[in-house]
Amino acid sequence: MSGHERHDERALPSGEEEPMTAAPLAAADRWLMRACLWLPLAALLLFFALPMGFIAWRSLMQDDGGIGFGNYLALLDTPGVWQATRNSLGLGVATTAITLLLAFVLAYGMDRTCMRGRRFVAAALTLPLLAPSLVLGLGLIFILGRNGIVGQLLGIRPDIYGFHGLLIADVLYALPQAVLILRAALRCADARQYEAAEVLGATPWRQFRDITLPGMRYGLLSAGFVVFTVTITDFGNAVVIGGDFAVLATEIYNQVSGQMRFGIGAVVGLLLLLPAALSVWIERVAAQRQAGIGAESAQPPQPRIARGRDGLYAIACLGIAGAICAVVATVILAGFIRLWPYRLDLTLKHYDITVSGGYASLWASLAVSLIAAAAGTLLLFLLAFSVRRLAGWPARAATLLATLPVGVPGLVLGLAYVFAFNEPELPWGALYGSLFLLAMCNFYHYHTQGYVSMATGLRAVPAQLEEAVAVLGGGVGRLLADVHLPALRITLWAVAAFLFMRSMVTLSAVIFLVTPERSLSAVTVMRLDEAGFTSQAAAFSTCIMAVVGAVALLLHRLTSRGRTR
Amino acid sequence: MSLEIRNLHKSFAGQVALERIDLALDGAEFVCLLGPSGCGKTTLLRIIAGLLAADRGSIRLNGRDLAAVPTRERGFGIVFQSYSLFPHMTVAQNVGYGLAIRGVAPARIAERVAGLLATVKLAGFGERYPGQLSGGQQQRVAIARALAVDPALLLLDEPLSALDARVRAELRGELREVQRKLGIPTLMVTHDQDEAMVLADRVVCMNRGRIEQSGTPQELYEQPRTRFVAEFMGHSNLLTPDWLQHAAPSLLAGMPADLGPAGAACVRPERIALTPGAAGGGRIVEVAFMGNFKRVRLEWRGRELLAEVSSALALRPGDPVSVDIAAQDCAWVMA
Repeated sequence: MSGHERHDERALPSGEEEPMTAAPLAAADRWLMRACLWLPLAALLLFFALPMGFIAWRSLMQDDGGIGFGNYLALLDTPGVWQATRNSLGLGVATTAITLLLAFVLAYGMDRTCMRGRRFVAAALTLPLLAPSLVLGLGLIFILGRNGIVGQLLGIRPDIYGFHGLLIADVLYALPQAVLILRAALRCADARQYEAAEVLGATPWRQFRDITLPGMRYGLLSAGFVVFTVTITDFGNAVVIGGDFAVLATEIYNQVSGQMRFGIGAVVGLLLLLPAALSVWIERVAAQRQAGIGAESAQPPQPRIARGRDGLYAIACLGIAGAICAVVATVILAGFIRLWPYRLDLTLKHYDITVSGGYASLWASLAVSLIAAAAGTLLLFLLAFSVRRLAGWPARAATLLATLPVGVPGLVLGLAYVFAFNEPELPWGALYGSLFLLAMCNFYHYHTQGYVSMATGLRAVPAQLEEAVAVLGGGVGRLLADVHLPALRITLWAVAAFLFMRSMVTLSAVIFLVTPERSLSAVTVMRLDEAGFTSQAAAFSTCIMAVVGAVALLLHRLTSRGRTR
Repeated sequence: MSLEIRNLHKSFAGQVALERIDLALDGAEFVCLLGPSGCGKTTLLRIIAGLLAADRGSIRLNGRDLAAVPTRERGFGIVFQSYSLFPHMTVAQNVGYGLAIRGVAPARIAERVAGLLATVKLAGFGERYPGQLSGGQQQRVAIARALAVDPALLLLDEPLSALDARVRAELRGELREVQRKLGIPTLMVTHDQDEAMVLADRVVCMNRGRIEQSGTPQELYEQPRTRFVAEFMGHSNLLTPDWLQHAAPSLLAGMPADLGPAGAACVRPERIALTPGAAGGGRIVEVAFMGNFKRVRLEWRGRELLAEVSSALALRPGDPVSVDIAAQDCAWVMA
């Protein structure tokens, strides 16, 4: 009994400030809990809410110095923007339609057939995520461009720049994300529904129509909106392979970086929020409905062998996966070829990059990504941990704030950072141009995905284990060390790796923030390509992919080992 | 040790979870909070543990108000239905966890852990991980972990509900044995009346956020004060005065004068004597063979009764029987 009698002499903290329903906490625990909540919330406000406020405010600042809707009206007189909007919408719709079709074939093939090569397809689908999006555009140019291998072999000079090239590149880029969503939806199905239908005499086609498709409708809807958003906000491919085909992402860049029309840029940026926000909202609704479909005890259907079907799916899926591999492999190969596609002898000379700052930006990207991964994982963990302890409207408000960043395209976030932080006289202006600010921009760009992973991981932590620690005399520190960190070890590594990898390859969020002295790797690839050093761009891309691929492999080994234990 | 709960109230979003709870625990008592799911028993346990705060009312431990004492400083032990062991710690580390928090020397922890593991019949299991143990073994570890800190009060939240019937019966016996031996005051939440009857010195029967009745298992079974207790603690026949008036007026002899409008006589099924024969006016409706007894539904004087008789008695649906109920076997429920 000596253990806890010691505590009796302490002055007991009064519980007045606590809401009546919450259990009392020791004073030290209360302060620790507050810090756990307010540190990430303050960062979220400073590095997300504040810049978004600035971009909204900037859109109202007119060139004549007044405040009003002048910029919005000026938009009407900017024909380029309207053309770009039409182009973006058309491209978005076409990309979405094609991507959904292909993604469905891939998802269905991998989860519902016994086709061969499922592991290869899955591996191929991770490739686009390992590289900056523009690498796909770059690869297409090496294959189908004016100086591409196809034109060389056939003796023609095809024109890939513009709508078609952009369409292919965007489809390849968006495909993995769509497959991920559709596979998740497919896995929600319950084998017993199919068994019941089978017993009742339904044909495979009827089962597909009556069970599979209805079960997938929210997945299809949400995948569609994600693809649409990714397409109309992607900057890298538009700039590399878009040619004269102006889209909103390039238009906003031209308005701001080319013509210094910041007000118009802010307005277009806010316009880009609309489809993204809509898509996020639809996805949330879809996710809730989807959750309602899957029963708690659902058993995923096990595919049976059907030669003809399996063969057809194998041909289609391996074809698509092969195309992705070919594009990425071409980029890697082109980096080693003396003069693509004319002099095909191997060389390392393209790796001797001296233009556009050389490899300095790769090291900068590494530093930024490490900061983003470390700081981001810590902040996300603290936020998810403390939001779990909130109830009622504060919990809902914090969750909403944490999930808002996903609705903000990288380009818009980057522009917002320029408005908020390129202000030397403001206290936070000192951050401008620092690696830390770039890291924060990348972290908050991907904040929501990280937060969702973290919250999902935390949900697996049994609440009663936390309570057992409290009853046995452990405080918040013990809770973190003995319950959460061990339970979340793999989640923490996965979130850190995710932030690191996205940070290494993202272009759109940082394109406005980089300076000639402090560039990042994806920007360097773009600059090399713009300057006509395509082989060097390929070599540089290969370096990025090597780093990101190594991290992805490490993560894969870590998680598969964690699962078998 | 004495725990005293006075006039406790708790509601969730306007929904009343606990109302006017008064409860006292003394000495080394084993008290069961018994009730159907949603009756507030777990809420009450969590408030006592400090995992929830009450809206109103007081909890005192040895005279000291616990309202502002955080869970971690209350010095209780708790065992949950879901074992809740640390998966990355060995059995010994799990059991010694509370002592480690209190800064006890490792050698003393090891000694204490070894003793406790022997008490819960897991000697030699110290180096294993929870994942390598069966459900019953894991729950023993959880019990040892809760006991290790010499808790002022041991709280058990449906600790046996996740186990197989056989393991449950076995662990039930051991739990009682350990609790008697160590003399630790214990409060257990359960929805299983058999469990409550076997384990408890005192059963606190709860319904809709209120305490219906509190007493020894025998008191609750033989003298239920409310219809709810009569029906929750085993089977019962609730005979209204109106019906008794014309069907069996002799049983009204012991009726209290202040019986409420919902009052009735509670007759347990095994107290109804059946004799096969046409004269009695009863007719068997259904017979369920339960092994050591038969549970019989029968028609008698315009209502259905439930009786339990020896399985040696040959009864079939449709058979005529005569029915005997003694006045002293009627317990009068007031509401």
